[in-house]
Amino acid sequence: MHKAIKDNPKIKHTLDRINNAARIGLWELDIKTETYIIDNITCDIIGVPHDFLLSHQESYNFFQRKSDAEELGKLMTNLITNGVSFDVELELCTTNKNVIVVRKIGLADIENGVVKKVYGIFQDVTSKRNTERALQSTNSELYSIINSSAVAIVSVDKQSNVRQFNSGAEELLGYTAEEVINKMVPTSILLQNELKAVSKEFAAKYNKKGIKNYNPFYELSLQNIKDTREWTFRKKNGDLFPVELSLTPIKNDLDEYLGVLGIFYDITDRKKAENELIKKNQLLNYAEQITMMGNWSWNMITNDISWSTNMYSIFGRDPILHPKIPFETYFNHIHPEDRGNVSNFIENTVKENNFTDVLHRIVLEDKTVKTVHLLGELIVNELGEPIEMMGTCQDVTQLRMAEIKFRGLLESAPDAMLIIDENGIIQISNKEAEKLFGYPSIELHHKPIELLIPDKFMHKYETSNNNFYTSAKTNKVECSEEYFAVNNRKEKIPIQINLSPLETEEGLLISVAIRDITEQKQAEYKILKSKERLEVLTDNLLNKNRQLADFAHITSHNLRAPVSNLNSLLGFYNTSEDEEDKAILFEKFEIVVGHLTETLDTLVEALKTSNGAPTELKKLKFEDALLKTTEILTGEIRETGAIIKSDFSKVPTILYSKVYLESIFLNLVSNALKYRSPDRIPEITLKSFLVKNRVTLTIADNGLGIDLERHGHKLFGLNKVFHRHPQAKGIGLFMTKVQIESLGGIITAESTVNKGTTFILTLN
Amino acid sequence: MKNHFNVCIIDDDDIYQFTIVKTIKALDLAKKIMVFSDGEQALNFMLENLKNNFDLPDVIFLDNNMPIMDGFQFMEEYTKVKPQIDKKITVYMVSSSVDPVDIERANSVAEINGYIIKPIKPGQLKTIIESLEV
Repeated sequence: MHKAIKDNPKIKHTLDRINNAARIGLWELDIKTETYIIDNITCDIIGVPHDFLLSHQESYNFFQRKSDAEELGKLMTNLITNGVSFDVELELCTTNKNVIVVRKIGLADIENGVVKKVYGIFQDVTSKRNTERALQSTNSELYSIINSSAVAIVSVDKQSNVRQFNSGAEELLGYTAEEVINKMVPTSILLQNELKAVSKEFAAKYNKKGIKNYNPFYELSLQNIKDTREWTFRKKNGDLFPVELSLTPIKNDLDEYLGVLGIFYDITDRKKAENELIKKNQLLNYAEQITMMGNWSWNMITNDISWSTNMYSIFGRDPILHPKIPFETYFNHIHPEDRGNVSNFIENTVKENNFTDVLHRIVLEDKTVKTVHLLGELIVNELGEPIEMMGTCQDVTQLRMAEIKFRGLLESAPDAMLIIDENGIIQISNKEAEKLFGYPSIELHHKPIELLIPDKFMHKYETSNNNFYTSAKTNKVECSEEYFAVNNRKEKIPIQINLSPLETEEGLLISVAIRDITEQKQAEYKILKSKERLEVLTDNLLNKNRQLADFAHITSHNLRAPVSNLNSLLGFYNTSEDEEDKAILFEKFEIVVGHLTETLDTLVEALKTSNGAPTELKKLKFEDALLKTTEILTGEIRETGAIIKSDFSKVPTILYSKVYLESIFLNLVSNALKYRSPDRIPEITLKSFLVKNRVTLTIADNGLGIDLERHGHKLFGLNKVFHRHPQAKGIGLFMTKVQIESLGGIITAESTVNKGTTFILTLN
Repeated sequence: MKNHFNVCIIDDDDIYQFTIVKTIKALDLAKKIMVFSDGEQALNFMLENLKNNFDLPDVIFLDNNMPIMDGFQFMEEYTKVKPQIDKKITVYMVSSSVDPVDIERANSVAEINGYIIKPIKPGQLKTIIESLEV
């Protein structure tokens, strides 16, 4: 500072005032004492009392940074020794711990090359510095914004010359700043029809229709508004792309229109996402329409309800006329009969924290009744409290109708019907099934079919299973084998099953028609029994018939013959007058009457035998019967020297009538003796054994034999004789046959003439 | 000429034999009466006299129901040998059977000229033998 000024009090006062206002302090360093002389302002800046003595050395303690202190130290040394002035800004810490920025200017007075005095200015520039910094950061921010490539900034003056064209704009539009700045905006950037549309819109909005060369951008400035909308820009290379453009009018302080600032960015991706979203939404709407499904959400805290478009149409409401859905609306639409159910359902859903599904009817304003199926989810907060429900609502009226029809059909089926899935799990059952199995429908639902038709069914079923499933698509497979079902009382029921595949959206189902065939079975059993009885009866009748035929034959021959003889004799007797003749005739009468008596006796015996079970049956030994026979026939056996062999070891006894067995033995053995061959010693062999569980007896001889081809048919006839034997009367075999047959047996014979005969008796 | 026929009786019933022989004799209807007790005996006679027209019967009264060889069996055998016989032999089946089965069967055999149910009446016998003369 100049002495003149310093010494002039007036000037000094003025300076002090200025210094005070600008907070400029003065300092001087006494080189000899190394002590600062500082004015009050300087004292105030560094926060020390006005009478503070500050040594040169101490002054460095105030600096915030060591580097600042060192730098100042160098400058001060240079000032003191060489008189080099400086002007620096430094940070220092006041005694009040405030960090401030100060400007220190150092000057030196030099006389004859020697520094005489060092002094300077000390100014608090903190606020200035802060302002500078703020400005700087704003500038750099602005700069970075302007130069960012994400946002394009273009400003245009009112003559449509480009003023600003940042790097973002360069990048997006493909022009360089040099190409366009201070030139007309390339007209190709904007699509003219979009520009016209905007002009038209603004003109309409601000009543500027019909004005020539209407400038919508100028209108922005007039209205003092911004406009943000989507535009389509054309790049230098001709590519089109969507942008969101914000237009802001630029005005000077005098509110004069200078131009317009456009900030825009590429929204291709956003557009794409938007379009995707629109497309998906359309798809959803479409899907909802097709499936007659809507979606809904219910904020349980605010009771706000939102519906999808199709939800409105399901409920017959206009989403534009009545967009708001009060909570009550839904409930009011519920069919009065279903309200209780739905309330319970909601309560349960909240209680169990699980939204399953619910089916109920709704009544539209026009009284249309629909059936809807709700599926949803319950959303809870961190405390587990329900806050929202959302889900879908499907119009299943038609499905329901179809189901009702299907149900009706199912219920009207005369058979028990079960519908099972491919794992044999019961899905649906009808009333008949309840009746047949004794379980209520609910208990059958989701149970395996084995509960009703045990293992055998599935086993059989599985073997044909693969085939069934693969062919089911094209063929109706029926199998109607008979199975047993088990009802709830564990009773077996004979059933008939009919399977047919049902193709549904849920996969292949199988309808199982089950018919209780207990009655059928019983009837079948009865028929079988009747048939058996009938067969027995037929056998009996055939037997009787044969016997009747036998008797008819007997009557025809054996009775008519003697009677006709009697008649003939009587004729002679009546015409004869000769007593001797009459005596002869009378003898003949006696013979005929004798024959007749014998025949009648035999017949009576045969009738008695064949009519019903005769004497009681006893366990008899064949051996005993043979013994008795040989006793009776002792004379004949001795006379003929016959050899009688027997083997009853296989079947020694039989349950039979004693009289019959003895009679049979006697007749057959005596026959064998009677019709012995004169050339051989008679040999008779008797054997007993089992054939098909029936006691069979054979009596074989080596006698004359019978020509069975000739006589077979009348072998056992009454009074049939096959040999000119004086004792042949044809009664023995006849009676034998009658006796055997009366006890359910059969007698047959095998014979070779001159070799012998074997009688085979199948007894019982 | 009533009595120039050989009459053959084939029947096992001796009473019948007695009565018919007596009747034929009484009516003097036969030159010769032959009686056989069964078909086999009769057939044997025929075989022995195939060319002996003098002894062969003109008419046979054949019983059906006989032992050894019955009437039908006899007819079977007779049919076999008939071509060798150069004499007209009329065969009547005579039976006590009124069984339609028997009658039908007899009618089905061409060589049987008629079926007579016993007892055969003298008038009937006379008519038959007289009809042979025509």
